[in-house]
Amino acid sequence: MVIRQSTRLFLFVLVVVSMILAGCAQPATPAATQAPAATEAPAVTEAPSVTEAPAATEAPAERKVATFIWTQEFDTLNPYYTNMWFSSVTQQLYNCWAWDFDEANKPQPRLVTELPSVDNGGLSADGKVITMKLRDDIVWSDGTPITSEDFVFTYQMIMADRNTVASRNPYDLMEKVEGPDARTVVITFKEPYAPWVANLWRGLLPVHVLKPIFDQEGTIDTAEWNKAPTVGCGPFVFDQWESGSFTRFVANEKYWLGRPKLDEIFFRFVPDDASQIAALKAGDGDLGTFFAYSDLPELEAAGIKIINSFSGYNEGIYFNMHAEKGHPALKDVKVRQAIALAFDRQKLVDDLLLGRTKVAATDWDNTPYNDPSISPWPYDPEKAKALLDEAGWVDSNGDGVRDKDGVELVLKYGTTTREIRQDTQAVAQQQLAEVGIKLDLQSFDPDIFFASYAENGASANFSLDLIEYSDSPNFPDPDTSAWLCAEIPSDENPTGVNTSGLCDEELDALFKLQASQVDYNERVQTFNKITKMIFENVYWLGLWQDPDLFGVSSRLANVKISGVTPFFNIMEWDLAQ
Amino acid sequence: MESIAPPSKGSIANLSPDVLETPPLSLGQLTWRRFRRHKMANFGAIMLILLVLYAFGGAFVFSEAYANKTETGARLQAPSREHPFGTDTVGRDILARTIYGGQISILIGLTAMLVELVIGVTVGAISGFFGGLIDSLLMRITEAVIVIPQIFLLLVMAKYFAASIPNITILGRTFSGSVVVIILVIGVTTWPYLARIVRSQFLSIKENDFILAARATGTSTSEIIFRHILPNSIAPIIVSGTLSVASAITLEAYISFLGLGVRPPTATWGNMLEGAYNYIETAWWLWFFPGALIALIVLSINFVGDGLRDALDPHSRAI
Amino acid sequence: MTRYILRRLLQAIPLLFVISLVLFFLMQNMGDPIATMGGRNVTRSADRERLKRQLGLDKPIIVQYLYWLAGNDWAKADLDGDGIAETPGTRRGVLRGDFGLSLVNKKPVTQVIWERLPNTLLLMLTAEAMILIFALLIGIYSALKQYSTFDNIITTVTFLFYSMPVFFFALVTMYIFAVNFKKWGLPYLPTVGMFEPTAGKTPLQVAWHMVLPTATLSFGFIAGYSRYIRSAMLEAMGQDYVRTAKAKGLPKPEIVYIHALKNAALPIVTIIALDLPFLLGGAIVTERIFGWPGMGRLFLDHVSRGDTPVVMGILMMIAVAVVIFQLIADILYAWLDPRIRYT
Repeated sequence: MVIRQSTRLFLFVLVVVSMILAGCAQPATPAATQAPAATEAPAVTEAPSVTEAPAATEAPAERKVATFIWTQEFDTLNPYYTNMWFSSVTQQLYNCWAWDFDEANKPQPRLVTELPSVDNGGLSADGKVITMKLRDDIVWSDGTPITSEDFVFTYQMIMADRNTVASRNPYDLMEKVEGPDARTVVITFKEPYAPWVANLWRGLLPVHVLKPIFDQEGTIDTAEWNKAPTVGCGPFVFDQWESGSFTRFVANEKYWLGRPKLDEIFFRFVPDDASQIAALKAGDGDLGTFFAYSDLPELEAAGIKIINSFSGYNEGIYFNMHAEKGHPALKDVKVRQAIALAFDRQKLVDDLLLGRTKVAATDWDNTPYNDPSISPWPYDPEKAKALLDEAGWVDSNGDGVRDKDGVELVLKYGTTTREIRQDTQAVAQQQLAEVGIKLDLQSFDPDIFFASYAENGASANFSLDLIEYSDSPNFPDPDTSAWLCAEIPSDENPTGVNTSGLCDEELDALFKLQASQVDYNERVQTFNKITKMIFENVYWLGLWQDPDLFGVSSRLANVKISGVTPFFNIMEWDLAQ
Repeated sequence: MESIAPPSKGSIANLSPDVLETPPLSLGQLTWRRFRRHKMANFGAIMLILLVLYAFGGAFVFSEAYANKTETGARLQAPSREHPFGTDTVGRDILARTIYGGQISILIGLTAMLVELVIGVTVGAISGFFGGLIDSLLMRITEAVIVIPQIFLLLVMAKYFAASIPNITILGRTFSGSVVVIILVIGVTTWPYLARIVRSQFLSIKENDFILAARATGTSTSEIIFRHILPNSIAPIIVSGTLSVASAITLEAYISFLGLGVRPPTATWGNMLEGAYNYIETAWWLWFFPGALIALIVLSINFVGDGLRDALDPHSRAI
Repeated sequence: MTRYILRRLLQAIPLLFVISLVLFFLMQNMGDPIATMGGRNVTRSADRERLKRQLGLDKPIIVQYLYWLAGNDWAKADLDGDGIAETPGTRRGVLRGDFGLSLVNKKPVTQVIWERLPNTLLLMLTAEAMILIFALLIGIYSALKQYSTFDNIITTVTFLFYSMPVFFFALVTMYIFAVNFKKWGLPYLPTVGMFEPTAGKTPLQVAWHMVLPTATLSFGFIAGYSRYIRSAMLEAMGQDYVRTAKAKGLPKPEIVYIHALKNAALPIVTIIALDLPFLLGGAIVTERIFGWPGMGRLFLDHVSRGDTPVVMGILMMIAVAVVIFQLIADILYAWLDPRIRYT
C-alpha cells in the first residue's frame, strides 16, 4: 500500500515537473542542472558552468567580433563556381577583385595601381587590348606575392574543359591573356568589349595552391580550397566552415591596405527571415539582408539602421509579345499602355512596400543610362478604358470582360511564390478587373519558373502573358541580352533568355551598337534611345525599384555598402563601444 | 414441500419464449448504441458538426468575393469588431477566409480519403484474396511506396503538376486546380497503410468455414469478396477512413507550409499558415486562427474515430 | 529462420533497384539545377549549354541513371564542346561505392551527408528516448488508473497534442518559451541552430538548443504511443493470467511490469523498429523551423536546387534502412512472440 502511493506520487510529480521545467531551466547554475536532466539526454547534464567561448576569456584584450546573419548557406567559396549572391558578396572578405566599387558604384583600384583607360595607356584605341599594372605590395595571406601568373592561371582555369565553372563570361570573348612580367597583365579581346569594367576579374585563384591540384586531378572542381580557402587575398582569412551552422573569418595580418579593425567575423546561417529578424532584434547578429518591407519598422524600432543599396534590380512585368505564341491583345501597344495606366503602382508601393522605395520606370533606373525625361506611367483608369475602346476591345457579351473578334481579354499572369509577389498579383487582378481585363493568376516554384525553354520553364515557354520578376542588366554595366532577337528561346535555341519573345529590329540594332561603344558618352546616348523606346512601347512595365536592403546594428561603425561589391570597405568597419 | 409454490398466473414462467427475447440488433444499431456511450466521441461528433456548419453555413453570411477582396490599406489589422479575426497581408478578412478555406480543407480531406480508400481497399482485397504471386507483387509495390519518403513524393508531385494548372469551376465556386493535385498527391501517398490492414483482414477471414461453404455452393469470386468478406472487415476500414480524413487535412497543411500546396488566392486552412510564420510576433492572428481550426477539426475527427473503433470492436465490453 | 532472412534479403535487392529507378526518374521533375544555380539571374545560354555538357545533364535520363549506377569511366563524354566525345569520365558509380559529386557544391555526396548525419542522429535518438520513456510512463500510469481524473486529463491532452500539426506546436512553443519568456525577462530558449557560433559547440550549448526541437518532435509521438500502450496494457491486465497472478498474491509492480507490460510491449517494439529508419530522413519540418543543421534541411536545400546525386544518396540510404529495419522488426516479433513461426 505504502509503496503504491509513493510510486504514484513519484510518477505524477516526475511527469509534471519535467514538463514544466523543460521550458525554464537555467543552464549556468549547477543546482538547476538537475531539472534539464529529466528532459534531456542523460549524457549532457555534467556540463561545466563555464559557458563563455575560450577566446573571450583567454585573449588579454577583448576581441572585436561581428556576426552576420545569412538566410542561405553558401554552396561554395570559390568565386567562379557560384552564382549565389550570398557567396559572391562574402568574397570581399577573403578574396580580391582587381578593382571594386564604392558606395556610389564608382570603380576604385584594388590590385591594380590605377584603372586602365585610354589616357594612361591601359586601354587600346580600338578597345580590344587592356593592360593592367599591378601594385607592388600585394600578397596572398600566406605571404606569397600576387603576380600576373595568378591572373593568367585564373583565366586558364575558367576556360579549362574539365572545370564546371558557373560562367565563362566574359572570358570566352578573350583571345588571350598574357603576363609579360610579374606586374603586368595584358588582355586581348576578339572584339571591342564595352562592359569590361563591370565584368572582369571578379575574384582571383591562387596559382601556387591550385595548380598542383589541377595538374594532378585534371580539374579543380573538388579542390579543398573551394570549401576552405585558407589562402586568400582579402582583408580577412577563412578560418572554419561548419556545414549548416556558421562560417568564421579572422583578420588577415598581411593585408596590404592595413590590418582590418575587426578581429573576427562570423556568418550564421538561419533558416528564414523570421529567425533573421529575431536574431537582429535580440542583438545576436550585427548585419542582415533581404528583409520584407513590412519588417522594416520593427527593425528600426529595435535600433537597426536600414541601408538601401541599389544594385540594378527592378521588379517589373515582361509582356509576352511572341509573334506566334503571344496573346493577340498584347501585340497592340494601346493595350499595353492601358494595362500600365490601370494599375496603381504608386499605391502598391505605398501600402505593401511602406513607401520605402519608388515605382520603377525602366530597368535602368538610378543609372546614368536612363533617359532623364522618363517618369513612370500614372494611374488613370479612365484613359485606360478609352485606350482599350480605341483598340477595339469592348465588352460585347456583357460578362464584365472585354473581347474582340471572339477572343476574351483574359491574360495569364505568372510569377514565383514569394509573398510580396502573391500580394501584388491579387491587387493587380482587382484593379485590372475594373477596366474589363481579367487576370488569371498563377504562381510557380522559382526553379520551375526560371527553368529554360528546354525544361519547359514557366517564364520561358510563352505560356504566360504577363511575366513578373526582378531583373537587372549587368550592373553596373547597362548591357543585357534580354531584348535581342537572337535570344528568343525556341526548339533550335532552347537556352535563349529573351522571355518576352519580342523581336524589334530597331531595338535589336541599338543593343548591338552599344555593346561595341567603348566611348562612355556615345553609349549613354544609345541607351537613352533604348530606354525611351522600351518605356513608350511598354515592352516592360516597372513595378518597383528593388534595392538590396541591409540592416546594420548600432554596434557597427563606418559601414558603407556598395551596390556591386557590398562589403568594399569592410576593413574599416569597427565595433562602436 | 409447501415452500415450493407453483408459479402463479401472470408470472414470468407463463410468458412464451418469443416474447422473452428482445429482437436482435443490427450491426449499425449496435455500433450506434456503443458509440453513444463514449463521452469523448460524442463531444467530437458535436464539434465536427459545428465546424462543418461553420465552414459551409458561413458561406451564407459572407460572399466569396468578400473573402478574396484585397484592400492593401487595411493590411495586418488586429482582430476588431469589423474584422473579428483580423486581416491578412493584403487586407483580406481572415474570418471570411477561414470559412471558405474550411470548405476547401474539408473537401480535400474527404476526397483524399475516398481516393485512398478506393486504391487501398482494392489493392488489399486483391492481394489478400488471391495470395501467391499476385500478393507478392502487390506487396512489393506497397513496400516501395512506403519506402519512398512521403515528403519526397509530395514535393515531386507538387512540382510536377505545378507547371500548368487551370482554374476549376464547380458549383459556382472557382478555385485553383492545385486542389485536385493535392487530393491526388495525398491519396497516392497514403494508401499503402490501408492496403496492408485490408490484406491482413482478408487473409484471416478467407480461411473461415463460411467462405468455404460459399465457394462450395459456386458463389462467384466478386460476390465472395464484396458480399461476404468485405462486410466482415468493414470495421477497420471505417476507422481507418475516418482517421485518414484527419491526416489528409494535416498533410495538406504541411504541404502548404512548405509552399507547395493550393495556390492563393484560393484559401485553405493550410495555405493561410504558409506565410504567417514570418509574423509570429507581430501578427499572431495570422497563424493562430487557421492553426486552431485545424487542430480542432483533427481533434474531433480523432475522437470520433476512437469512438468508432471502440464501438465497432466486437470484444468491447462497453455495452 | 536463416533461410527466411536470406530470402527476404534477396527479395529486397530487386526492390531497391526498382526504387532507385523510380526515384531517379522522379528527381528529374524537381527542377533544373542549372536554371539559376541559386543566383538572382537566369544563367546565360552559353553557360547553360556548357554546364549541361560538362555535368552530363544533356544525356537521356536512362543514360544518366546508368552512369549514376555504374559510373561513367567506361564511357566517353564531350567536354570541350566540339561534338566529339573523347574524354573518359571519372565516376565509378553507386555499385562501386561512388555516389558522385553534388551538383551544387561539387563535394562528394558521402561527405555532404556525413557532415549532417550526426546532427540528425543526435536529435532523433534523443527524441526517441524521450518518446519511449514518457510514452511508457504515461501509458502505464493511465492504464493503471483508468478513468481517474489523471487519466482523463492525460487523455484530453494527448488527443490535443496528437491532433496538432507539428509546426503549429512549434509555433506555439516558440511563441511562449522564446518570444514571450524573453519579453517577461525570464530565461528563454533559443530557437535557431545547434549552438551559438561565438560560444562554440559545447555539450551545454547543444543541449540547450535541443530542447525545443526535441519537444516538438516527440510530443505527437508521445501522445500517440501512450494511447497505444494504454489500450494494450488495459487488454493485458484484463487477461486471465494476470488475474491468476493477482490471486496468487504477487506484488503489484511485478504483475504490471513483468507480466503485463512484457506482453503489451510486443507491438510497440515492432512499431518503433519500423519508425526508426525514417529518423534518418530527419524531421524536415522541425529542422526547417528551428534551423537545425541536419539531414532534413540538407534534403530540402538540395531538392530545391535539383541536386540529384545528393538527394538520391539520402533517399537510397533511407530505403536501405527501411528494408533492413522491416526485416529486423519481423524477426524481433517472431523472437518475442513464440506463437509466430516463419517458414
